Amino acid sequence: MTTLDLRVDDTPPLFTVAEPRLLANRPTAVPPRDLRWLVDAAAQVRLLGRGGAAFPVATKLAAVRRGARVLVNGSEGEPASWKDRALMRRQPDLVVAGAALVGAALRSRRMVIAVTDALSAAALRGAVRRQGAAIEVQEVEHGFVGGEINALINGLNRRTPTPDGIRVLPHERGLDGRSTYASNVETFAQLALLAALGPDAYAATGTADEPGTSLLTIHGTQSDGVIEVPHGSELRHVLGIPPGPVLLGGYHGTWTAREDLIVDRVRLRREHIGLGAGVVAVLPEDTCPVGEIARVGRWLADQSARQCGPCTFGLPAIAADLERLRAGDVIDAGRLRTRLGQVTGRGACHHPTGAIRFIGSGLTAFDADVRRHLAGRSCGRPTRAVLPLGWSR
Amino acid sequence: MSALRIDWTRCDGHGLCARLLPEAIGLDEWGFPLIGELDGVDPSAVRTAIASCPRLALRLER
Repeated sequence: MTTLDLRVDDTPPLFTVAEPRLLANRPTAVPPRDLRWLVDAAAQVRLLGRGGAAFPVATKLAAVRRGARVLVNGSEGEPASWKDRALMRRQPDLVVAGAALVGAALRSRRMVIAVTDALSAAALRGAVRRQGAAIEVQEVEHGFVGGEINALINGLNRRTPTPDGIRVLPHERGLDGRSTYASNVETFAQLALLAALGPDAYAATGTADEPGTSLLTIHGTQSDGVIEVPHGSELRHVLGIPPGPVLLGGYHGTWTAREDLIVDRVRLRREHIGLGAGVVAVLPEDTCPVGEIARVGRWLADQSARQCGPCTFGLPAIAADLERLRAGDVIDAGRLRTRLGQVTGRGACHHPTGAIRFIGSGLTAFDADVRRHLAGRSCGRPTRAVLPLGWSR
Repeated sequence: MSALRIDWTRCDGHGLCARLLPEAIGLDEWGFPLIGELDGVDPSAVRTAIASCPRLALRLER
């Protein structure tokens, strides 16, 4: 029997457009800041959460009670996303400093960083030791739905790690049943940078709508990896002129054929596009787009927590339609359209809605390919699996 | 203005609500409720449908 070394560092390459901040090669001294300062500074730079929902950080910080728990979500449940693990592995001190900063401002009774991979856990534990911080690093196991914050909290509270039927936000009841400030790892790193730089220097890059930078994970280009991008950058520039539609926001995100998009959550939202957790993908011309969408569609169906009927039955039915479409078999296009409309919005969490957004926008963006398949003529291209489903932990 | 909400983690698709309140509730191909408008629907019929759900998955939200 051979023992696999599970600690092989599989972190993808890191890139930056313009001067790196989160990915800078120098240590950042993070001074203590009180809660008022943090709330005001986060409001001034319009800091938005980086886990996917882009909720205003100042609002969330102001909503938790003094003594609240702090939960750093490093579970990175999206298989196409790498930016959180890249950050935890390469800049663990910044993440830990951000957690300690928020914990001190809230006079927190307990701080937890939840991760799913051993390398990130080891890096974070090193940083916790170096900083002498009272922060627990917990390794958790779960899939995509589990990455949803309530599911993660249920798991950490030793309950079934699935989303609740009736949503209770963590600031009301979270870790140990107490008020909890929960955010994604990149959000904590951004708060550490904000405390170190002050709001004016923080806002020296980026746009007026969204100052600062973001981490993106890029797939399907000549230079895939994790990239730090100042807000306001042209997406075309970041991707190197994509050959066709672009996926923004990962497997709950949106395919678009627009070529004039700017990396800026506020401006993208006006176009009804979310950046999600920062996953951006394009498809090379030698892969079948219908096959790529079908493959992710099946994966999304498999990720259902199987709590809610429309998601449990609807997503597999849609995945089967997509697989037959890929193969050039006859499908009932009207029924597929009805199914897409009937699964969205009908579940306890955002999984069915996000999955339908990915599939529906993909079928629209690759309309010409879809028509060819609907006419029974498969495009003849293989499905190269450009969009990753599995990942090592 | 109130609307029917479903706790999807509870609903098992028994379909009783659609039978009791066909003017406001339909079923999808898997037997799960599709909620329509409550305008003009008898409030007592709405209450009966809510109380009759074997999984207590239906509620009224204002």
